[in-house]
Amino acid sequence: MSGYLYEKDLTSMKYDILTSTRHDRMVREIAADIGIPQIKLRRYIMERFDMLLMENLPARYEEGKRQMAYASETERDLRAHLYSRAIPLVTEDEMDRIVTRVKELMESGMPREEAVLAGKNLFRGSILK
Amino acid sequence: MKRTVDVSIPVGPIHPCWKEPARVKCETKGEFVLSAEVELGYMKKGIERIMRGRPWQEVMFLAERVCGICSVIHNMVFIEALEGISSIPVPERAALLRVIVNELDRMQSHILANFSYCYTIEHETLAMYLLDVREKVMDELERITGARVTCAYIVPGGVRFDLRHEDALRLRANLAAIEDEIIRYTGMFENGPMIALRSKRIGILTKEDAREACAVGPTARASGMPESDRRLYHPTYQKLGFVPVSREEGDNFARIMMRFQEILQSIALIRRCLDTLPEGPVRGGGIPGAGEIAYSGEAPRGELSYFIRTDAAGRIVDIAIQTPSIMNIEACCHYMLKGVASLADVPSTFVSSDPCIACTER
Repeated sequence: MSGYLYEKDLTSMKYDILTSTRHDRMVREIAADIGIPQIKLRRYIMERFDMLLMENLPARYEEGKRQMAYASETERDLRAHLYSRAIPLVTEDEMDRIVTRVKELMESGMPREEAVLAGKNLFRGSILK
Repeated sequence: MKRTVDVSIPVGPIHPCWKEPARVKCETKGEFVLSAEVELGYMKKGIERIMRGRPWQEVMFLAERVCGICSVIHNMVFIEALEGISSIPVPERAALLRVIVNELDRMQSHILANFSYCYTIEHETLAMYLLDVREKVMDELERITGARVTCAYIVPGGVRFDLRHEDALRLRANLAAIEDEIIRYTGMFENGPMIALRSKRIGILTKEDAREACAVGPTARASGMPESDRRLYHPTYQKLGFVPVSREEGDNFARIMMRFQEILQSIALIRRCLDTLPEGPVRGGGIPGAGEIAYSGEAPRGELSYFIRTDAAGRIVDIAIQTPSIMNIEACCHYMLKGVASLADVPSTFVSSDPCIACTER
């Protein structure tokens, strides 16, 4: 049986990082905000982020929340900066598409709350797909 | 991040220029580095888990064993967090002695970081000069605290030992000698044409990127973020009139120069402490009790945070440590290394952020 000499399975170590006190609190907050199960969010993060980015997530999360104050109202409602730059759950392009779509819905006469909800559903869909 | 790439070149985990093991996987196009990701897990201690359930008297010794290079600040932040929980006052003389020891620790850490960088860019002469001057700082640390590392000098309500008059005189004399040497070595680094070739406009971290990655310490201050210095918010440093220094370039050169500047700043701070050191007790006493706190201090590498919950007997119920290297190495690998023109600059850029893997993995 052949295998890579240097590649090793990092899953258990990544899980340990994500279940530490501050990471666990952050994951619970994000999962509740997005409306997806914590276990799915953990898996999503473990598959996409390297170990160092994962270690730095609580600090980035706090800084990202502070930066939301400088965003436009729509971006703030969708937490666009937080979930695409600070915690890169989706790419910036994908988040831009969601923000543009929400703005289009509002321009077409949809009430703000409904348009933002539609945007959050799009965001949730892009994570669960 | 699972991706298929053309050429992925691993640097580390064991590298002759690195103090500790980490694996940086660089995705490259020829010599050009497109991106980098890091694999940790070579020296995980699980120290937070070991701390849980233990009395603070044991945990204070564990805290300074998180990092062997900046052990004093781990000791200081942990104890000041406990003092914050239980409102334990600190005598003024003890508060100033804490600053003196903390600044000596910062000096030796910065000198070691700059030694590593000079060694990495193969300027071994300057590297060895720096290692030599570091010994003088370590001697002062040993004279005051009784140990070179893991000094356990700071205790709730004060410090363990007073500073004797003859030791203070010797400290002043040695500070003058260290200052002369550091000024000379700063000039060598600043004006060295070969050093400039390997350091200027390499590994650039912009202010926006530094903010996004939450970079801290000299790494952030070299990218124009003086407000990141936690000493600004510490009452003793405020009394001393502390003003942080910063630079704007954000490259390898700026980060090393930043540390040289901070060494000279530390010398000035220690002198100010010695000038204003009042007579009085150095141990006021006090027993930590139940409570919860998030407390930060400025380690040599940047903001060090402790999140602690204790019970009535002073046992540590829960603890989380956020070390500055977590943020700085992330800023290095995901921002500075991205776009580096030559693979040969990867180790030097990595070292310029003063990475401490022991801190990162805890």
